[in-house]
Amino acid sequence: MPTESLTNEVRLLRFLAQDMTQAELGRRVGLTRQTIAAIEQGRYSPSLEVAFRIADVFGKRLDEVFHWNPGGREDAERDAG
Amino acid sequence: MSSLEKRAWLTLWSQCPPYLVYFLIQAVWPNWLTTFQQRIACLAVVAGVHAIAYVTGLLWMKRQERGEPLLLDERDRAIDGRATRTAYFVMLTGMIVVGVVMPFSDSGWKLTNTALLAIVLAETVRYALIVAGYRRTPRLAH
Repeated sequence: MPTESLTNEVRLLRFLAQDMTQAELGRRVGLTRQTIAAIEQGRYSPSLEVAFRIADVFGKRLDEVFHWNPGGREDAERDAG
Repeated sequence: MSSLEKRAWLTLWSQCPPYLVYFLIQAVWPNWLTTFQQRIACLAVVAGVHAIAYVTGLLWMKRQERGEPLLLDERDRAIDGRATRTAYFVMLTGMIVVGVVMPFSDSGWKLTNTALLAIVLAETVRYALIVAGYRRTPRLAH
């Protein structure tokens, strides 16, 4: 059962891009290394503009990098309740 | 740890102990400092300790960061903005108490100390919320 409403493939795509570092990705999209780490861990959802920039760095479409699970948050809240 | 979080910790550690001592003295031994010069000197010592601790910490941080500029991205700004919004209401409440309510019943150093308390509280709330903002799991709303 999904516990996140928004998931992403940033960690995998970094690995596939010759193991690009978080700092390098952050530099290319205008974020700090800490924020890239937070995005990968699902602790922060980037703005739409930054999400597009991240997808662009890997040459992917937005929906190939970020996935929206419509029932994720409700499921998580129900589980918590 | 991001630069903003480091600076928030630095502010909390440099600001809270000296002002806690100052307000404890004012609350527990209100008659210990009697003259204007004594009170000003006490306040100057507290502000001086705060300033020295902050500047020393800042210089140490700059050295650790090897002169790199302070970089803030959208997450840092979102965390800072939310913390500042909350701290604003703390400051607003304090200023209403000091400027609207207290003048009818109090005067002098009581007004000064309450205003100072409101400022210190607002700053503490702001930086505590920044530190908490980097640790909370739920996502930030933009």
